Amino acid sequence: MSLLEPTDGLGPWNQFLCRACGLIYDEGEGDPDSGLPPGTRFADIPEDWACPICGVTKSDFEPYQRRAPVAPASIPAAPQRRASVVIVGGGISGWSVAEAIRAENATIPITLVTACDGSLYHKPELSVALGRGLSPDALRRETGAAATERLGVRLMADTVAVGLSPERHSLRTTRGTLRYTHLVLAHGARPALPSSLDPALCWRVNDLAAWSGLHDELARGPRTVAVIGAGMVGCEMAEDLARAGHTVTLLGAATLPLPDLLPEPAARRLLAGLQGVGVRYQGDSLVRGLSRRPDGGLTITLADGTSLAAVTVIAATGLAAPSRLVRSAGLAFDHGIAVDPTTLRTSGPDIFALGDCISIEGRPCRFIEPIGRQAAVIAHTILGRVHPGYAHAAPVIRLKTRSAPIALHGAPVAGSPWHVVEESEHRLAMEQRHDGAVTAWLAA
Amino acid sequence: MPSALALRSAHAPACSAAEPPPARPDAGEWTDAAVLAGTTAIADGALKAAAAAIDGGTYPLDIMARLGAAGALGVHLDRFGARFGLAVAAMQAASRSCGATGFLMWCHDVCGLYLEQSGNPALSGAVLDDHAAGRTFGGTALSNPMKAFAGIEPILLRARRVPGGYRVSGMLPWVSHIGPGQYCGAIAGVTGAGDTISHEIMFRLDCDRAELKPCPHFSGMEGTSTWGVRLDDVFFGQDDIIADPARPFIGRIRGAFILLQCGMGLGVAEGSLDDMLAVEEALGHVNQYLDDRPETIAAELAELRARVMRLAETPYDGAPDYLIDVLDARAQVSELALRASQSALLHQGARGYLMSAAPQRRIREAHFVAIVTPAVKHLRREMARLSQEILPTGSLEGGGP
Repeated sequence: MSLLEPTDGLGPWNQFLCRACGLIYDEGEGDPDSGLPPGTRFADIPEDWACPICGVTKSDFEPYQRRAPVAPASIPAAPQRRASVVIVGGGISGWSVAEAIRAENATIPITLVTACDGSLYHKPELSVALGRGLSPDALRRETGAAATERLGVRLMADTVAVGLSPERHSLRTTRGTLRYTHLVLAHGARPALPSSLDPALCWRVNDLAAWSGLHDELARGPRTVAVIGAGMVGCEMAEDLARAGHTVTLLGAATLPLPDLLPEPAARRLLAGLQGVGVRYQGDSLVRGLSRRPDGGLTITLADGTSLAAVTVIAATGLAAPSRLVRSAGLAFDHGIAVDPTTLRTSGPDIFALGDCISIEGRPCRFIEPIGRQAAVIAHTILGRVHPGYAHAAPVIRLKTRSAPIALHGAPVAGSPWHVVEESEHRLAMEQRHDGAVTAWLAA
Repeated sequence: MPSALALRSAHAPACSAAEPPPARPDAGEWTDAAVLAGTTAIADGALKAAAAAIDGGTYPLDIMARLGAAGALGVHLDRFGARFGLAVAAMQAASRSCGATGFLMWCHDVCGLYLEQSGNPALSGAVLDDHAAGRTFGGTALSNPMKAFAGIEPILLRARRVPGGYRVSGMLPWVSHIGPGQYCGAIAGVTGAGDTISHEIMFRLDCDRAELKPCPHFSGMEGTSTWGVRLDDVFFGQDDIIADPARPFIGRIRGAFILLQCGMGLGVAEGSLDDMLAVEEALGHVNQYLDDRPETIAAELAELRARVMRLAETPYDGAPDYLIDVLDARAQVSELALRASQSALLHQGARGYLMSAAPQRRIREAHFVAIVTPAVKHLRREMARLSQEILPTGSLEGGGP
């Protein structure tokens, strides 16, 4: 600001811009350091005067007109000009979205970020692969590199998504920050391990890498294995381990396995089947602790004070969707990333989610069948294509226990009564009814 | 040029024996508003004027003393209410004028944290009072041990247990905010039989008992009084011990240690934003074609700062998820400072490239923020490690019963 008011009758003080460095000479302020007192008109500056910053001469200055400030770009928060999709997760869900997009569009850039190596495999096989003598290589249907080539996708393997700024459409990873126009979260769920179990002492089989580690350990020969948790995965793993020649104890919290899902007659058939292949079921067992003995073996301590010895311990104690990434970004989370049941949009702009990490109306749904349909909905929305939307339906649940295979249809409600429809030595059929209509049925 | 304050011994009383000992500053005077206003006044005045000189080598202990008197170096301590958000805000205000001084504040802040959290009466009484108020000065020598604990490099100082304490030997490069009469927190590996390290100890290292070796010149931030420190069989007794063993202690303060650093980068980014806005009227008509325009940087800065402030409410949360959030924020602070400072130079053009201009200095400050331990690469590596599931690593060979 000029301090002096002009009195020379030449009008207000003018400003002159140095074209070299941007310095503004203000006649009212002058350039006292160079001997030009305040109030020195530009025309009166000697020709040998030089710009005090860059040293160019008077002739390199031009009259400076104050400009109106440039209005900020209308949408500064989303500077991304070209569409690009970022997918977080290299399991079936993540790859399904990549495939569904590529089926419709060959060019839109897709980056797939995964904490694992991005190998494609069929996850349900993990709980039946030991008994079939399969190796990690046999389970791997395609390497991440080959899928990348096939689909024209950029794969960021061994990369963790650590931070998300929804308004800026920016995802921070352990290998740099990515901009996206559409983000798909398909990072799955992680084993929920009770705090009483030391993670360094027990296996959880939720991905190919962990299964491969377990496979290596078991490949050394038959051993005593304890499986903690008699849910679907625990029952399937116990049978698979027994078929592979190991001595297996299955620890369940209830008297019978799969208490939340199966009525007693079905659970008894399941138990009989498991026992038939050599699994020892120990029910009503709550695990209090797990420790390593001096001889290297493991001791499982139970709530009733007894204990159990094993060489290998597997925890099948359920899954939980990780919440840190989405919660710290302010996205809605309710037992999973909350998504719209039709569009699979999360509460964040242009962010979708599918598979094991989501919840629909507060309920997770961790089965394979819906994933392909979910991926198609998301792909169509991202590409701006019309799609009728996702219609959530309870998938058929098939227990892959060959000793006593069980299929569950409909929407079973835990605690609601089951009615026997057919019961013979070879077949059990039961159903749940609500208001006279059959709402769930099972065949064992 | 070091000020006379630098020559005052850490152990010499600040006042003559005839005078009463210095009272602990009244926390009542250090209200949030007063601390921030006092810090901002120093930052916008003397510190801004000295920024180029500090960048070139002037160690601003006089300004640090004024910041200390204003409360900017003590409010994160439990005794002053553990106001980490305020400590970050003060560091940001100073770094907005001078990144090097922001770094000195961080060094000083974490040193105070070590002294207080040690629980050692010899360190957490008058010694800490003087430190917190900026009457004495000390920094931190944890770059190497932090990397050693993360498995990145071997630990450089070695300690040997002797009656009443330890004898420590070794050489640490690049220790900042130290000098004659000053001190720092350091960590040494305790060697037992066969030269194996049984555990680590953390101790207050009095610089007068060490040999300080000049460092080669850095490209910027030369006024941080950074030295190589050589210890040759120096005894440290109980009165010097901050933590024994050191690892649980470091685990407890790690989130707070890293979170405090965010103040530096937020300030460098904010100063860069100032530089962009300063030329907006004159150059906005061409600058509009640049990436990372002021409104973009301002929006990200506001969001990131709000996140840092939320994290600052629970600095001692030990959950892995919290630590990842802190590491993520710290990494983003680095990336934002880099982008903002580069954009500021592009906005100012030749004017910002002058040796006397702030933008070129901030570019070097931002790079310092991104490479000082934990550097961006270390942060990412640690986030990857913390995100990995822990699984068994081999058990008994063969079958067995």
